[in-house]
Amino acid sequence: MNLDIRHCRVEPGVALFELRGEADAFTAPKLRQAMMDWLDQGTVHFAVDLSQLAYIDSTNLGVLIGALKRARERGGDLAIVSPSHRVMRIFEITGLGAIFPIYDTQEAALCSFRGNQDGQPGS
Amino acid sequence: MDSPEVELSIPCAAEYVGVARLVVLGVASRMSFCYDEVEDLRQAVGEACTSAIERAQATNQPDARITIRCVMEQDKRLTIEIADSVLGFNSRGRATLAGPDTDEYNISALLMEILVDEIKAESKPEEGTTVTMVKYVGRRTQ
Repeated sequence: MNLDIRHCRVEPGVALFELRGEADAFTAPKLRQAMMDWLDQGTVHFAVDLSQLAYIDSTNLGVLIGALKRARERGGDLAIVSPSHRVMRIFEITGLGAIFPIYDTQEAALCSFRGNQDGQPGS
Repeated sequence: MDSPEVELSIPCAAEYVGVARLVVLGVASRMSFCYDEVEDLRQAVGEACTSAIERAQATNQPDARITIRCVMEQDKRLTIEIADSVLGFNSRGRATLAGPDTDEYNISALLMEILVDEIKAESKPEEGTTVTMVKYVGRRTQ
């Protein structure tokens, strides 16, 4: 199964990513390049929807960590949206669930970037 | 046959990690593992293969290979050996797999240790690295 990456600009400085399929070492360069492109264009906030992602390996976790670091250096953030059961298990095992803000919906993640108090992290 | 074996040899390249994970799915599904146990095994094997690929890339060894050997033991436990031919690494005196000190590599080592019931790794500079992992049926980790 391949990785399908959809990304779009929600508003200035904010990008929404949707990952579908399986994210392994072969697909990691594709994700890294997509995130770098948005960072280079001035995007500082990322909402990354992982609800349709069946598998994520350490290489892709490294890509997300790198993007999170760069976003935060610029005053932004990277929020995870609705991770699938398997992906949430990996976030919990690695402790990354405590580092990335995780939201139940795309709307909640996007609200958090606007400082909206309704956008509290989900489970 | 008490302990049937399945063996696969793949190039040490990222595009073949999915092949290794598919084989582990096929083998583990012949035993009484639950869904999460099978997926934990597939993840751990994928991480071991990725670790070999990163070491091969870091030391420019494009011809290296990975051999995955699965031994099914009476529907009680599955032992999987992931042996690579990436030379130049030595794990003697190390608690974890030898390799670069990066976020990805450390997460990979952590995942492998947690997702299976037993794991050991041995690197010999002139032979390569062998990771041996064991998963018991019905003993889900964490």
